[in-house]
Amino acid sequence: MKKKVLSLILAALTILAFSGCAAKPATETTPQKTDAEKIRIALVLPATVDDMAWGQSMVEGLKAVQKNMGEDKVEVAISEKLGNAVDAGAAIRQYATQGYEIIFAHGSQYQSVLNDIAKDFPKTTFAYGTGFATQPNIFAYDPQAQEGGYLLGILAAKMTKSGVVGIVGPVESGDAVKYNYGVQQGVAKGKADVQTRIAYTGSFNDIVGAGNLAKTQMSAGADIITGSSQQAVGAVRAIGETKGNYWLSTDMDQSSIAPDHVLASQVYHWEKVVNKIIDLRKQGTLGGQHLTLTLADGTIEFKYNEKLADKVPAEVKAAVETAKQEIISGKLKVELPKK
Amino acid sequence: MEGFMSIDIFIIILATGVRLATPFLLAALGEMFVQRSGVYNLGVEGIMMMGAFAGFFATLQQGSPLLGIIVSLAIGALMGLIMAFVSVTFKAEQGISGIGLYMFGWGLSGLLFRLYVGGVTSIDGLKPIAIPMLSDIPLIGQVLFNHNVLVYTAFLLVPLSGIILYKTSWGLNVRAVGNKPEAADTLGVSVVKIRYQCLIVGGMLAALAGAFLTIGQANMYADNITAGRGFIAIALVYFGRWSPWGILLGSLLFSMADSFQSMVQVLGINFPYELAVILPYMVTIIALAISYGRVWAPAALGKPYERGTRG
Repeated sequence: MKKKVLSLILAALTILAFSGCAAKPATETTPQKTDAEKIRIALVLPATVDDMAWGQSMVEGLKAVQKNMGEDKVEVAISEKLGNAVDAGAAIRQYATQGYEIIFAHGSQYQSVLNDIAKDFPKTTFAYGTGFATQPNIFAYDPQAQEGGYLLGILAAKMTKSGVVGIVGPVESGDAVKYNYGVQQGVAKGKADVQTRIAYTGSFNDIVGAGNLAKTQMSAGADIITGSSQQAVGAVRAIGETKGNYWLSTDMDQSSIAPDHVLASQVYHWEKVVNKIIDLRKQGTLGGQHLTLTLADGTIEFKYNEKLADKVPAEVKAAVETAKQEIISGKLKVELPKK
Repeated sequence: MEGFMSIDIFIIILATGVRLATPFLLAALGEMFVQRSGVYNLGVEGIMMMGAFAGFFATLQQGSPLLGIIVSLAIGALMGLIMAFVSVTFKAEQGISGIGLYMFGWGLSGLLFRLYVGGVTSIDGLKPIAIPMLSDIPLIGQVLFNHNVLVYTAFLLVPLSGIILYKTSWGLNVRAVGNKPEAADTLGVSVVKIRYQCLIVGGMLAALAGAFLTIGQANMYADNITAGRGFIAIALVYFGRWSPWGILLGSLLFSMADSFQSMVQVLGINFPYELAVILPYMVTIIALAISYGRVWAPAALGKPYERGTRG
């Protein structure tokens, strides 16, 4: 008897601890009751709202939309730490049941879960990414990570002293593959004899592992390092402790973690994507489109760390700028790995 | 790839392996005492997360990693005490309560981080201390004697744990309680007390393992920072057959394999990365499979002690 009671208490404690952090994250869930004008948007994240990477960039996009349209016009609810697609599915279904109109499942791993759920809620708009496969009420969004990767690759090739550019990758899939492929091409373009070394941790959120892999990259000779996903902050921190090595960030500007070590960033601006989905929905299009983020439409920005801007010689900046204009004008197409 | 087997690369692989082995060693040695006393604590991962957060937070607040270590030890003792309370005093099913403790630790550490820190924040953690003279020895010096204090602590704990377990009367009591609790009880050894002590020590070492991740490795904190290392530590206790030297062997095997596979990837040797990242797990599982069965397990492992019944 005692055992049962105790197990119950422990279970209750656990649920408490979880509901404390999962169900009530640091977000503004304005009370229910909607007037006709109000759009209700839900976001499901694999990691956290403040991961300084993939998740946070989307949260900032949603907040910008909310700010521009007015707090009373847009409601945003967020669930975090749902890297497991099955758990995420439960949350997505719940949001749909509660009448959220647009539900973002922010990760490529949610594609099949969404396909299942979307059938049951034909009036709800779902969106996920990185991906391209759509359904009548599912949008797929797709940052062209290789574009910024290419520019960062040129920068890396021209800035490296050791002749080795290292990549600390998460898992060889989706966004990471595109990004890495872009970096590789950029490096090859920037300087022929510079090597790009790609290694993966096998995880998206092992910051200790990413830090260790970055250390291994540096000890084996890389002096410019980059990599995508939320665990990358661990690698940025590891580089921040060294001298003469630089990090190139993607998804977000990560220079606040290591102000003297982050040279430049590829930044995703999700605001436009969110706005586009809202507009399409208003026009009656619930899904079915593959929305890309590109340098050309301004949803991808290439950004130098102002603090280190004088470390980058003018001719290097010029080379990067030329490539950027060529990508924007369509003259240069950064290739994607062939399946 | 030329120069792959160069001596420098070899030293980097070994030195990294020693560093990577540290959290496993700390957590597994703690769990070894716990299991030797007849309890298995599956909550190691949760305790590690709490220790990781506590160490990080104290360091962030006070700027002293040493204080971080002390605070994490205290939190670890508390977490061990909770487990002891549940599994020894109330005799709850150990597997379930351990998993409960894991989830509790994960949830609470994430919540506290959100409430009191929030967002990516860096700290100044422990610095490597090169041991005079010893660190100058070619090869071995770089591999073994240029690490931070927790790495040295972890490796020194191996012989120390051996002495405590096999050469002291407390160690004898622990082994007796884990093998034949009724006999120990008859001889006046308090089963409850010993198990409480072991769970507290185990909790402290698990928390220290967690603190190593935040203040000795990452110098930051993120949710789920342990990423499964606590469970690997538990597996290493079985691998090491409940002996400190066996655990040392297992931790080093796993970590060296991990360090080696990272280097293989980094140097661009043509090897599928999927296979590379599972290499440490494969090596450990194979080594576990070809070694003996559970003959070395403490006989009363997992059984709550009820006075007057036969274990």
